[in-house]
Amino acid sequence: MIKNVLIVDDDQEMLLSLKEGLEKYDETFSVIIAGDGRVAMDKLRMNPVSLVVTDLEMPRMNGFSLLAHIMEHYPDIPVIIVTAYSTPQMEKQARSGGAVGYIEKPFMIEELARKIVSTLRKESEGGTLHGISSGTFLQLIEMEEKTCTIRVFDRKSDKKGVLFFRNGELLDARMNGISGVEAAYEVFSWEEVNLSIQNTCQKTDKIINRDLQGILLEAMRRKDEAGIDPEAVDELEEDLLSEPEALKKPEVESPINAMRNRLENELGQRSGVDDIYQDGNWDGLIRQVQAVGDFFSAGPFRVGYVDRRSGADLILIPGDPAPTVVSLHSRGPKDRILQILMDQETLS
Amino acid sequence: MEPDFNEILSLDDVKGVMVLSGEGRVLFERMIDPAFDRVKTKSKDWGPLLTALEGVREADFLLDNLRIYMRQSAGGYILVLMGHFAPIAMVRLNCDIVLPALKRKHGSKGLGRFFKLGK
Repeated sequence: MIKNVLIVDDDQEMLLSLKEGLEKYDETFSVIIAGDGRVAMDKLRMNPVSLVVTDLEMPRMNGFSLLAHIMEHYPDIPVIIVTAYSTPQMEKQARSGGAVGYIEKPFMIEELARKIVSTLRKESEGGTLHGISSGTFLQLIEMEEKTCTIRVFDRKSDKKGVLFFRNGELLDARMNGISGVEAAYEVFSWEEVNLSIQNTCQKTDKIINRDLQGILLEAMRRKDEAGIDPEAVDELEEDLLSEPEALKKPEVESPINAMRNRLENELGQRSGVDDIYQDGNWDGLIRQVQAVGDFFSAGPFRVGYVDRRSGADLILIPGDPAPTVVSLHSRGPKDRILQILMDQETLS
Repeated sequence: MEPDFNEILSLDDVKGVMVLSGEGRVLFERMIDPAFDRVKTKSKDWGPLLTALEGVREADFLLDNLRIYMRQSAGGYILVLMGHFAPIAMVRLNCDIVLPALKRKHGSKGLGRFFKLGK
């Protein structure tokens, strides 16, 4: 799922050079540009934005006003401030206003790119799922009383939406300029989606006052009225009337279970495996490693290991639609697991 | 500089060592595999790889014909290129030894200021 980064600066030359300089990271994020805060507000309304990078000194609406607007209306979107006129007071003001990063001009484009990538990674810290039905999965969120922000990408229409859950309750939704229950109806009508889960929810006010099942049924009714796939309404009603256990697990679990079983067979209970899941967030790194492999004529990239300093160590296996990630306890036998998975990948 | 990597380069099936700056410049390279000696590593833009590695302290990538071990150091990365028969534990151990020695020798903050920058 390619994420959108909105860059706001009144210096057109700066804006274009940033857009051009960040093009080489287009496997990880794409750049939308705006010449001032007002234009940025329009872009935010009409586009699913994952991160904003803004200058402070701008005509019409400066960076601080834009930051305040984002914190009020899009509190889930992180903001990075870049400025040429930095003072400690400005930095303090920006950070207390909600900015997650503060970079002084001039800066290396790689410095900004890294800040963007590390911030975006938090957006899917809770994992990602691909090719599932949004309705069934979101009912699981409700049942488990999770607090999270879920970004949903409809594979059919390429639309993106955001859902805000607190203790399993749907507080609010946002999609292409609309919010609240109307946005939820639209998002819940999508049949085959990719999801990324952030384990926090910045929203506190409950805007949507309807239960999840009611929203799902209304979403399908509207879809039915629009003349799209009427059979899906009957299927969904059957699902909703049946026991919660009837909720289907996402299809992606099957090969994952096979991998878990293989590792347990080879290593027993001491495999050190904490979790196995698919996570498109590692696509960018995997493509870059493959590019290095191509550079050295080294053949396909099969399996890798990353130690992120904080958090679990991860084994990455390239794959479609998303890489598979094996999360390890700190003392997991990573070299042995790499060898087992390398043998398996080479044979397959 | 080079003697720091002699131990690693002498291990079985190790093909070469590179050091990249935080911006992706090749600060040092020594290839002992003749096939890699002809590869123009300085012509490649390594920046996107380092950006994608954001936050990663250590990495080990297995490709069909190459194993790439990467270790973060002073804002950059050391890359050890090797075959599948190289003793990875020894490679890791020797990197553990090299890194603090490099920092002590050079006083720290950014490998770039201590290496002759390649163009």
